[in-house]
Amino acid sequence: MSSSEVRREHVGRSVGRVDGAAKVTGRALYVDDLPARPGELHGAAVRSPVARGLLRSIELDPAFDWSDVTVVRAEDVPDNVVALLVDDQPVLARTRVNHAYEPVVLLACADRGKLERAVAAVRLELEPEPAVLELEAALAAETVISGPDNVQSRYLITKGAADVEAEDRVAASRAAIERALAGCEVVVSGRYSCHHQEHLYLEPNGMVAWWDADGLHATGSIQCPYYVQKGLCRGLRLPAERVHVTQAVTGGGFGGKEEYPTMLALHAALLAQKSGRPVRMVYGRREDIEATTKRHPAVCEVTTGCDRDGTLRVLSLRALYDAGAYVTLTPVVLSRGVLHAGGVYAWRDARIEGLSLATNTPPSGAFRGFGAPQTLWAIERHVDRVARELGRDPAELKRQNLLRVGDSTPTGQVLRGSVGLAECVTAALEASGYRDKRAAPPRVVGRKARGIGCSVVLHGAGFTGSGERRLQGKVAVDLRPGGRLCIRTASTDIGQGTETVFAQIVADAAGVGLADVDFATPCTTHVPDSGPTVASRTVMVVGSIVERAAQKVAARVRAEQAAAGGSFAAAGDRLLAREGAVSALEQYEPPGWVAWDDARYKGDAYPAFAFACDVAEVEVDLDTFEVRVVGFWCAADVGRAVNPVMCKGQLEGGALQAIGWALTEEVVWRDGRILNPRLTNYIVPTALDAPPFETFLVEAPFEHGPGGGAKGIGELPMDGGAPAVAAAIEHATGLVLDGLPLTPERLLAASLARGEVKP
Amino acid sequence: MKIELTVNGVARTLELPPLLRLLDVLRGPLGLTGTKEGCGEGECGTCAVLLDGEPVNACLVPIGQCDGRAVVTVEGLAVDGAPGALGRAMAEHGGAQCGICTPGMMISAEALLVARPAPSAGEVRHALGGTLCRCTGYERIVDSVLRAAAERRGAGEVGP
Amino acid sequence: MSVADLARYELAVPRALPEACQLLAARVASGEPTLLCAGGTDLLVELGMAPPLGAGARPPLCVDLSRLPELGGVERVDRDGPRIRIGAGVSYLALGRHALVEGALPLLARMSHDIGGPTIQARGTLGGNLATGSPAADGVAALAAHDATVVLTSVRGERRVPFAGFQTGYKRSVRQADEIITAFELEPLAPGSPWCWRKVGARQAQAISKVAFAAVAELEGGRARRFGAAMASMAPVTATLPATRALVLGTPLAGLDGEALDRAVAADTSPIDDIRSTRAYRAHAARALARGFLRELGAAV
Ligand SMILES: Cc1cc2nc3c(=O)[nH]c(=O)nc-3n(C[C@H](O)[C@H](O)[C@H](O)COP(=O)(O)OP(=O)(O)OC[C@H]3O[C@@H](n4cnc5c(N)ncnc54)[C@H](O)[C@@H]3O)c2cc1C
Ligand code: FES
Ligand code: FES
Repeated sequence: MSSSEVRREHVGRSVGRVDGAAKVTGRALYVDDLPARPGELHGAAVRSPVARGLLRSIELDPAFDWSDVTVVRAEDVPDNVVALLVDDQPVLARTRVNHAYEPVVLLACADRGKLERAVAAVRLELEPEPAVLELEAALAAETVISGPDNVQSRYLITKGAADVEAEDRVAASRAAIERALAGCEVVVSGRYSCHHQEHLYLEPNGMVAWWDADGLHATGSIQCPYYVQKGLCRGLRLPAERVHVTQAVTGGGFGGKEEYPTMLALHAALLAQKSGRPVRMVYGRREDIEATTKRHPAVCEVTTGCDRDGTLRVLSLRALYDAGAYVTLTPVVLSRGVLHAGGVYAWRDARIEGLSLATNTPPSGAFRGFGAPQTLWAIERHVDRVARELGRDPAELKRQNLLRVGDSTPTGQVLRGSVGLAECVTAALEASGYRDKRAAPPRVVGRKARGIGCSVVLHGAGFTGSGERRLQGKVAVDLRPGGRLCIRTASTDIGQGTETVFAQIVADAAGVGLADVDFATPCTTHVPDSGPTVASRTVMVVGSIVERAAQKVAARVRAEQAAAGGSFAAAGDRLLAREGAVSALEQYEPPGWVAWDDARYKGDAYPAFAFACDVAEVEVDLDTFEVRVVGFWCAADVGRAVNPVMCKGQLEGGALQAIGWALTEEVVWRDGRILNPRLTNYIVPTALDAPPFETFLVEAPFEHGPGGGAKGIGELPMDGGAPAVAAAIEHATGLVLDGLPLTPERLLAASLARGEVKP
Repeated sequence: MKIELTVNGVARTLELPPLLRLLDVLRGPLGLTGTKEGCGEGECGTCAVLLDGEPVNACLVPIGQCDGRAVVTVEGLAVDGAPGALGRAMAEHGGAQCGICTPGMMISAEALLVARPAPSAGEVRHALGGTLCRCTGYERIVDSVLRAAAERRGAGEVGP
Repeated sequence: MSVADLARYELAVPRALPEACQLLAARVASGEPTLLCAGGTDLLVELGMAPPLGAGARPPLCVDLSRLPELGGVERVDRDGPRIRIGAGVSYLALGRHALVEGALPLLARMSHDIGGPTIQARGTLGGNLATGSPAADGVAALAAHDATVVLTSVRGERRVPFAGFQTGYKRSVRQADEIITAFELEPLAPGSPWCWRKVGARQAQAISKVAFAAVAELEGGRARRFGAAMASMAPVTATLPATRALVLGTPLAGLDGEALDRAVAADTSPIDDIRSTRAYRAHAARALARGFLRELGAAV
């Protein structure tokens, strides 16, 4: 049965959340709501106060009573590595620290008050060393902290004239792209920077770990149970069957609970092992902000060439990403960054170079958008600049150059279909009244000026290139008594609605009611490894095999029904009685045409892209430079909206994170330490700061997507908000800002620099 | 210190250190874990409860100040354990995603709806101004509250 | 962070002001440390951030002010003319809703809506705002613009301190350790008179002021016969803007010079760079807000 034959009763409808009742009555149990296990201890980490230094000794205050405090140090860790891409990050620092807040000692105690005092009674003797704290310093490499030059990973994408064969491709392609630029009628250059962003999920990271006859158990607030399992197996030298990782109801993640929980689980597990007691570690907000990952700061240098009529031809872009002190997932983040650097435009010649650099800041990590928001900020701001140089309206210039079916991206990927880009642009511009608002001079009422701006972005769904093929994500759908179907997957619901959307897909695929579908608690012991809950892959990639598995199980029941009659439930029960278990395990296989060359970074980077056009309207106070976003319109090509309300909720929530990143969110550092690790001074938007959102769903189905063509959209909304807001501010005030965040203080400084401020 | 209060309509007598945070008393001895802790500093509003009908941050209220007073938590907004109009609207219209802010949002919304059964969208935003949500962008929370208000007006339902 | 230590504190719950004053006097006399708690919105944050208490240390006694009827209420009183007395323990929520405040002290009502969010407004009090002594305190700026009289009570009786003489330095004041702030007395603003409350924070709710500007004026014959103004977050204490006031009161509004106004504001303030904003931004915003209000009063600045 092909998906087009499925009757759709649930997919496409905005059914309520299946986990809604538990969440709105307070019954849903998040990690810190789990009842204490008998004998449970609280755990804490003692962290480095300095950004870089040699660890000379660890001294436990002899005057303190340590009798009921468990102490774990580096030498207690069986294999002192946090298993990710590269084995450079220790579970606990041993001889040196590479960033502030790096964990050095772990403590556990039943009494929380005593635990706090115990933390204060640990003295770390550290000999500080010169630290590299910013991208510029890392690049200058006067102090080298990683490899020969602080460069930690590197990518090069070449297309057209830049795609040269040479011994030294880096240099040869650079020369080639410069020649191509020299041949262009209009050449424009710019430099665009962006900053750390804290995820600020409202539930901090947390984990409970305990040991029993079956081995190690860890339950917590996590996106990717199998990542945690892998890390525990490695760090504690355990076989996978002895490690049981379970997701508790999770209060938001956005990437911040992708790799970090592995570290936290290791800490809790080590304390639990040494103390022989269950150990709970739930971070307070301050520790969560200080110690966990952030979005990578980045700088992009961009030069483009175009025709006088605005046809974009040549792109040269170099992106520098601040990796922080350890590799963690940075190479993958940078990869996604360079793969999105061309934006939504059809470049004839392109050279995109990406470098990640090590600094002595806490490791940068996964964050919704995963590297793409940084390069898309750069390219969108840059195309606005080209429009300014040409005297064109930016939205029109963008529209003129949009990728179409048959065009190719910088990796040479030819877009085969499912490109609703032009429709998105039309929908967002029309709904927002962009053209009229833009045609007239910015509206100034009293001391307030209004402006409007737009961005157009894309986001690849699923793992990059050959990633999905390597990953081999699996799910199972089981038949249960009474004709019920149970989905077993490691794709977690962290708020984005996995449980509901999967249930909709299964209900339609199997032809059963929504209430007949269950979702098994994601636990590595009971659910197959579906791959991580990241990369906008849950609905499109995992959802497609959920759909297939449901179809297979239902087909068995229907066959039984056809053979011996009775209801679906009765036929199912007969099958179960006869066979004991009826289940379908499906494994993901990307479409056959997906071809990717990892060595040369060429080919089909993603099976499908989601697209969006964002329009922001702002009001700027000309006295105080306060910026309010007064309207936000987003039209997104989602392929197929499985649940339109939830889909819009994702788009709006992501857009507000992007607005926060653009306007107010700023991690302030001094000597590698964070000066504002609190909600009172790391400023995320409130309900009064959020604009009214108008969100439009464009559906250009992706033939291999579930539910009739769904594409992944989890990250897309993070991409376009910042450049749209910056363009709107530029329209309102004439101030061109190429570095985030766009705080009033920076607007004032820019205005002073232009010599135009008067109160 | 001996503290007598009602929690979700039930009279309780507690013997507790008086400066314990109401939040910890609810989540600990009273077993009401629906009230969440997102910051412990009054900033996020996930710990909001009604204290004598007003929404307050349970992380900033010493239990000793609750003697003789009435506390309502998110659990107390349910009707026989099932969601009321507000809860249903949040679950069905996108007001809850990860759900960690939802208890606080519902408490703040409840306080508003009792005082103003037919609020404007702007009034809803003001009422929710002290509760952060990182998932939804707020649009659908506002929408859910407005829908719940309409339903409650229609059904004549009143809050607890 | 020492939330865990909260379990070690004791709370005294006096039911009337004399009882509270006696308790406080006895504690001060014996040198025992004491904390006061009204709405707790500053106190509990501070306790949560305090370093852990030593294992044997005895925490200070906390005295609950929330049950003292004398700290409640908003009423008209007569003290050399009509005044409005606001109890130090009145919450922002009550203040913002109070008809008398809305009518006669509209700035105060408006300011109350700008404090934190509704949950903070339901608990926070003006007494706590002033006692904490943060230069960013919004309520204090509003009191200062009205030249409020601060009423302090102790076993020695009641005394009245004009606002201008209350603060003596960063988080320091003339309040003695055994004194409780019981009320504020404010001169009502003549109906229809101009006033300004403008808070500049990093967001629309849950924001601490980068700059806040509070001002009231009563005009007569092209001049200000009453002009009170203050700023938050512009100096180590709430800035009461004496030079600016003198300039405005001493000059016909039509003749007011913008540059002179800027100079007066600059002389009255000493902003700093900190985590929330910059010195340059604060100085700029302060000038702009002062000019904005004076334009409303009819000055061509
Ligand atoms: C999330 C959040 C947002 C906030 N937003 C703002 C804001 O926008 N603007 C602003 O100005 N403030 C803000 N604050 C700070 C705080 O809410 C105010 O300062 C409030 O007015 C404090 O009042 P309270 O009754 O809660 O004080 P408490 O915490 O009870 O007391 C604070 C201090 O004052 C002393 N004290 C209290 N009452 C008296 C009295 N009557 N006599 C003598 N001493 C007394 C206490 O001993 C204590 O040291 C915010 C706080 C939080 C947590
Ligand atoms: S936990 Fe109370 S406001 Fe955040
Ligand atoms: S739903 Fe996740 S924080 Fe609001």
